[in-house]
Parts: sequence; structure tokens; C-alpha cells
Amino acid sequence: MRPGKFAYHRAETIDAALELLTNNEDAKVLAGGHSLIPALNLRLAQPEMLIDIGRLENLRGIQANGSLMIGALTTHAQIETSAAVQQYCRALSAAVSKVGDPMVRNRGTIGGNIAHADPASDPPTVLLACDSIIHLQGPDGTRTVPVQDFFLDLFTTDVQPNELVTGIEVPNMSDHKTAYAKLTHPASHYAVVGVCVAVKMDGDTCDHAHVAIGGALPKAMRSPGAEAALAGTTLDDAALNAAAEALMDEIRAEVMGDVYAPEAYRTAMAGVYLKRAIRQALAS
Amino acid sequence: MTGFLNTSVTRPDAAGKVTGQRAYPGDLVRPGMLHLKVVFAERPHARIRAIDTAAAMAHPGVVAVLTAEDVPSNGFGLIVPDQPVLCGEVVRCVGDRVALVAAETPDAAEAAARLVVIDYEDLPVISDPHAALQTDAPLLHLGWGTNIISEFAIRKGDTARAFAEADVIVEDEFSTTWQEHAFLQPEAGIAYVDEHERVIIETAGQWLHEDRRQIATMLQLPEERIVVRYAAVGGAFGGREDLSLQHLLALAAWKLRRTVAMNWSREESMIGHPKRHPVTIRSRWAARRDGTITAVEAHAVADGGAYASTSQEVIKVIALFASGTYEVPNITSTIVAAYTNNLPTGAFRGFGAPQAQFAAEIMITKLAHALGIDPLDMRRRNIYREGGTEPTQVTLPPGVSALPVLERCIAEAHTRMGHEPPAAPYLRRGIGIAAGIKNLGYSFGYPEQATAAVELYGDASINRAVVRVGAAEVGQGTHTALRQIAAEVLQVPFERIEMICDDSSAAPNAGSASASRLTLIAGRAVHDAARAALQQWHEEERPACATVQYRPPATTPLDPVTTAGRPNYAYGYASQAVEVEVHLLTGQVQVLRAISVHDVGRVINPQQVTGQIEGGVVQALGYALLEQFQMRDGYVTTPHFSSYLLPTTMDVPEIIPIALEHAEPLGPFGARGFAELPLVPFAPAVAIAVYNAIGVWLTRLPMTPERVLEAIKKQHTA
Repeated sequence: MRPGKFAYHRAETIDAALELLTNNEDAKVLAGGHSLIPALNLRLAQPEMLIDIGRLENLRGIQANGSLMIGALTTHAQIETSAAVQQYCRALSAAVSKVGDPMVRNRGTIGGNIAHADPASDPPTVLLACDSIIHLQGPDGTRTVPVQDFFLDLFTTDVQPNELVTGIEVPNMSDHKTAYAKLTHPASHYAVVGVCVAVKMDGDTCDHAHVAIGGALPKAMRSPGAEAALAGTTLDDAALNAAAEALMDEIRAEVMGDVYAPEAYRTAMAGVYLKRAIRQALAS
Repeated sequence: MTGFLNTSVTRPDAAGKVTGQRAYPGDLVRPGMLHLKVVFAERPHARIRAIDTAAAMAHPGVVAVLTAEDVPSNGFGLIVPDQPVLCGEVVRCVGDRVALVAAETPDAAEAAARLVVIDYEDLPVISDPHAALQTDAPLLHLGWGTNIISEFAIRKGDTARAFAEADVIVEDEFSTTWQEHAFLQPEAGIAYVDEHERVIIETAGQWLHEDRRQIATMLQLPEERIVVRYAAVGGAFGGREDLSLQHLLALAAWKLRRTVAMNWSREESMIGHPKRHPVTIRSRWAARRDGTITAVEAHAVADGGAYASTSQEVIKVIALFASGTYEVPNITSTIVAAYTNNLPTGAFRGFGAPQAQFAAEIMITKLAHALGIDPLDMRRRNIYREGGTEPTQVTLPPGVSALPVLERCIAEAHTRMGHEPPAAPYLRRGIGIAAGIKNLGYSFGYPEQATAAVELYGDASINRAVVRVGAAEVGQGTHTALRQIAAEVLQVPFERIEMICDDSSAAPNAGSASASRLTLIAGRAVHDAARAALQQWHEEERPACATVQYRPPATTPLDPVTTAGRPNYAYGYASQAVEVEVHLLTGQVQVLRAISVHDVGRVINPQQVTGQIEGGVVQALGYALLEQFQMRDGYVTTPHFSSYLLPTTMDVPEIIPIALEHAEPLGPFGARGFAELPLVPFAPAVAIAVYNAIGVWLTRLPMTPERVLEAIKKQHTA
């Protein structure tokens, strides 16, 4: 349980970090370290160099100005306790409050979290349901990627080898009811399934609903079937059941299993937690 | 002066353990020692074509790389020496040790261990005991001639006729899986050769003198040349009965003439000691309309893993308890333990009783349901009573307290359970009550004794007493209990009694810390030795010394034809009640409260009694609901505590421990053992509670959310 040998550099500026990244093919970016360090210890990752961006203070913090701009180095705990996040997107507050344990939330960062792209992580599911935008910076400047195009596969994102995630932009969802419901693995506290919903109500009727699921698939996914089943309904039991069935049908072929939650159980729990998320959203 | 019993004296080891002053084996490692690293097979079955240690030897700081040819007698085991110390020809499980690297630093040892090149030819893997028993299955131990480690049968009465004449018959199949001991402190220790050419091993274990015997055999040295000492032991539960690294430390110290140290990681510990046996049991029970059980038939198969360990004895316990705590006139109980390429299985708190009685307690409940009789009345009618007859056709040892224990449990459950409804429509509550029995001490003719020596110093009055008894303190508090027993006999203050227990050269053999036996048997030896020393004292001997070997009434192997015999000299009895809440949508089962009633014979130390019960209940809860050690094709798929789930505070229910005092005739002041009993009725009590909540039987352990949900769904579609 000890890492292999690696060189360590602390970047004092974004440009310096990008230069190190460009010049070192086998380098890994260290932010909060709560995914990377365990991977090093288990020797699942053996990079030649770590580039520590932990001191880049301008990547830390939350600005609320029409939308939320969350710096990549902002910790889960900072997001969890942010009044602005609570106002703009309750589901995000809820999701980060369920990440790991207090130690993980105090050190782990949102940027590191999404760059790692663990399929059982909580924030990606919320970002997906809320149509967020990822801000990246490389040697040639900055670019943005819609979150739908950001997560490519298990532990794989659109971040290029010479790029850094600099921030996450989350729209103002305060006109939606949002919630995140999670079946937590008892030991790892990762999501066995995590479901985020954002519903826009028009009186008693659901104008539209966004539904995303994480934990069950190689990457977090939106559920068009569940969204269609909910739109235009009063979100009664029949609609919830139909949405749950649609979600389960969509994931069944691709769902992942492990000792704790084999494929069929995870699929069933996706339906249960979708309904739970909708009921929580409506109660919010 | 009286009153050293039934009092919670402060444990002498408590302050040192809490403050970190007391050394566990891992704390014995000092600068200048050589560090050892095991090269594990990490594959389930392969022939070793060649081992190349050149690169490892060339690594800076490496002193030696030991392999099979360095081992004087290359086989060990508690019963059959079928396990290589270091494998030279074949590896049979991922936990097999192939080479041992000794280096000046842990880093060098670890790096060099990676450089040992082993050329393997993979062999077919047998991962299922039923497959191992097929006639065309490859043999895992060629010299043994069969994949059957051991088989055992008990026959009583005329089962065929009883089934033919039965008013009602129920049958079912049960399966249980591996359980990992998960003691807090992974294996560690040091070893060196002293100025008298003795090999000293300081480590953790459960039986000084058995460790010594096996190490002496391996090194082909007289036992006097081996000294085993135990540092503080961080839990055992049966997982330290087998040698894990003690013999490797001894081998390296003897070969290299240096002080050597080894400190295992959790990952090494997980593959480095045996597990609880997975067992499948096919059961058939018959009864008369009035609720009298007339016949029990059980056929069981146990996965023994790659080496025999204690399989031979565990399966006898399983066979004996196929009929649970109930007197049944006609019994056919068979079991076979098979070699596989899984990790070896052996001793674990309960030693077969939990598996057997998971089946038995569910079967008696189903039988009661089939007859329309209250399952508790069914138990009352059939439960063992004084003078009752065992499955092996002998009268039960005196002191049968099964019924009063059950009655107390029922009364407590009535008072304390079932008074609040669940908080939501998708939650269901249920109560389950089960009884349990476990032998205390060794069984079926295995030699049983405990020896203690007591020395009394002083002039007019006893200023100081020394008690020597080689009983392992594994955290359970045995040294405190034995000291209280000595204090009570001698009427000498607790503080004036010195205990010498942790050195095989200084304390006589009291047998293992297992089979719930130390308070009963080592306690009796201490009691008798103290009495004898006191007699000498009264005859003006100064110092007054006495050594007593206590031997309980003999047990016997079973007659090969009639299967009659004396299996045990004493039993412990327990009953438990649990109230559970089942979540219909997720299949999650929460135990809300648990009542655990035990006949402890005589309370020596109330706090330790409570501690044993509470700890046992939590371990039992893990066994019932969470702990699912898994292997696939011989590889462990739950190698960490992130995938092998243990109970946490979030899972622990309100626990109500109750100790009854029906004297055990052989025990010191009537005390009897009970340490394993919390593990015995708990899982079936949960299964019964789940049935009472949702109307579905769970017959596989553990009862994971997935399995519970699947059962609920099956019931809905049925």
C-alpha cells in the first residue's frame, strides 16, 4: 500500500501547471488527492510526476451571477455550505453533502472529482441533470464543454493531456425543483445508484423533467425515457412507475454489478431511487 | 475476605492498551532487525517449474531468499501436516507462500519480493466442493488419493421408518458462505535465536504449546528449543489457531541467525489465514401431529479449501448439531469436507455450530408452521432436558439448561419487543427467536486437559501468589477471569496475584483459546491448583507450590458401526430474540434490537460477560446480514474492507445481554463457557424475524439486500 516513485512539482500559476503538463507526458494533476492518492497507493496509477495545483487560489471559490461559477479547486465542503449553491441548485448541495465522509469532503475538490470521472461519484450526476458547462484551459487558451460531452467513459473525460479543468458552470435551477437520492455503499460511501432529478412544474403539471443516473453505469447518463414519462403528467404514482420502468429499461443492458449490488439489484434500485428523488424534489 | 466473583475488576491490561503502552506484535519491530516479506502464490493452482531468486538476491539490502529447499520439514497443520511452509512443487491457493525474502529494510524486502521470478504452469482450478467430489475431478493432493479431506456420519434410530410414519415432513436446502475473522491487528511478530540456542518467537496466537509443537516439527528440533511468547493479541476468533507467519519467522531466524520481523498488511492477512467453512445442507425433518420431532436427516458438504486445517473436527460439530438443541429419536446426519483451490477454511467462533443451526432452527420453525403449532411451543416440547439423549446415543452431560434459557428469552422478548409499528408503509417488522447449543472444549476423543501451577509466597499470610497457566489472552479477558478465580480460592487480593501466561517455557499447557473452553477448563485447573497450593500452605510449606493438570471426563470417537459415542463433556446453551425491520423496496434488513440470553454457569466478571455477548452479537449480525467473503475461480473478490462489509455502529442494534447462572458441574464455582454462543442462534433468529415480517424464507447467508429483494419479488410473482 505504498506508491511507486514519482517526481513532485508544485505549480504556482496556471501557466506553470500547463507548461509542466505539456512537457511531461506521464504527469498527473494533484488537487485534493482523494482519488489520486489511493490509486497511487494501490498502484492503479504510477505516473512519473505529480503536478500539485493545490495552491492555485484563483481556481477556488463560488460566484453566483446569473449562473453559478464554481472554481475547480472548490472543496465539496465549501459547496455543501454555500448559500448560493443552496439557492441555485439544491440537488448539488445535497449530492456533495453525501460524498464520502467529512475528511473527503474537506479535502476533495469538485474539479478533481469530475476529472477523475469515477462512475460511482455523486457530483457528475447532478451536473448532468442540470446541463452544466465545464471550463477548461490549455496552452492555446480556454474552452468550454457541455457536461453531456464531457464524460466519455469509465474514468475517461474530454480533458486533453495538456489541459486543466478550471471551473464548473451550473445554471440557476431555482425555478426547478431538484433533488438527489442516493443508495450509499456501506463501506466506500460511493453511490451504488444516485439519481438526480430537476423538474419544472407548471401548476400541478410537470412541464419538463431532467433525470440523470450515476453509480450504475460506466458513466453518469441522462434518461430520455424517464424524462418523457414524467413530462406532462402530475407526477402521480403511475407517472413515477412509468418513469422508473423506462429508466430501468434504459440501463439494463449496460448496468454494472459487484459483490454488494449485482446487476439486477442495481437496476431495481435505480427505479426505487428515481421515485425517491422525485418525491424529495416535490417536497422541497 | 470474599467476593472476587461477580465483580467487574478493572482489567490489568486495559490501561496499557488504551494508552498504547502495551506492545502488540507489530510494536516489537526494532531498528536493526531483518524484515521479511512473503512471496505469495497469487494464483489458485499451478505447478512450479522454476524459482529464480537471483534478481531478488542482487537487490541492495537483501540478505536471503528462502524457498522450499530451506525448510527442514516442509509441512504443517493443526491436524494433518498437509500445508507446505513454502511451496516447492505446486501451489493450491492464492494464499500459498512460495518464497521468503529477508532484507535490511521493509522497502528492500518488498522490492526484492517483486523480483522473485516464479515460472508457473497453471493447472485446472476447482472452486466448488461439489465439483471436487466428482469422480473425474483432478486430485489436489496426489499423495492423499482423494479430494475428500474428511467425512463423518451420525446415525441414530431408524430414520427411514420414522419418515414413513411421519404426520408431516418438511425439507429445504441451506447455504452459508465464508466469513473472515477481521481481527483488528493483522499478523505480525519477531523471532531470534537466544544464547541457549533456542528459537524465540514473539507474536500472537491462540495456543502457545501447539504453535511450539508445529514449529519444532518444522525445524526438526526438540520442543524445548522453541519458545513461543505472545505479545498483546488484537483479536483472534479462531483465525489465529493455524500458523500464519509464526513458522516463517522461526525459519528465517534459525537459518539466518538474525532477529527477524514481519508485519502483515490487511491484504496479506486476508489471504494468510483460514476462513469459516461455506456449507450447503440439505435437510429433511419429520414430526408427529402433536409436535414431537421424530426424525432429522441432513446431508452437508463443506468447502475445506486447499488445506485440511481443522476441517476434520469442524464437520463433526456440524453433523452433531444437525438436529440443533432438540432431542430427536431418529437421525441421519452426513457431511463431507472437500479440498478445493479456495483459501483454506478452519476455526471460527462457533466452529460449525452456526452453519448447522442456521438450518436446524429454520427447519423446526417450518415444521411448526406445517403443523399449525406455535414454533416456540414446538421448541419447548422438543428441547434438550436433563437426562436427554444425544444424537450419538449417550446421555447429555449434566447441567442441561436449554429450556430455562429459552423461557427467559421468550419472556424478555414479550416485554421488550413488538410494541411499535413501523414508520412507513414500505417497512415491515418481525420478531425471531431461536435457541442454540455449542460444545465447550474439545470433542470426539481429542485429548483435553489444562494445566496450571500456583506458587504462594509469604510468612504468616500470603504476600504474593504466582499463577502459571498457558492460556492465551486474545482480548476476551481470560487472564482477568483466571486471576479472579485464583483470588476467590486463595482469598488473596487480586493485586497480589501475578499471572504468567504468555511464555511457552514459563507457563504450563492449558490448551487453546478456543471452543469456549478457557474459563471452564483452564479456570478449573487454576481453581484446583490454587486449592492444592493452599493445602500445602496450611501444612506450613513456604513457598507453597502445586501444579494440577485438570482432565474433564473423557470423550470418545464414534463407533464406526453404530456411530455411538461420547462426543462432548459439556455444553453451553443460549437463546436469542431479534426484532428486525425489512424495507420492502430495497430489501435492506435493519436489526432494531437483540436479546441474547446465555447460561454462563457463574458470573466471574459481569463487564466481561456483557462484552463477550455484545461483541458476539455484532459479529453474528455481520454473519447474518453483511459479511460475504467471496472467491471466484480461486481468486478473492473481496480483498479489502471496502468490499468485505463488516458491521459498523450504524448497524448495531440495541443489545440486551442476559446471563443466567445454572451451574456447570465441572466448572470453577459452576462457571461454564459461552464465548461462541452469541454466534449460534443469531442468524436463524434473523431469518425467522424476516419471515415473520414479510412471509419469505431466506435460506442463504448472508441475507443481503439483493437476496431479500429477490425473495420478496419471487413471492409476489408466485
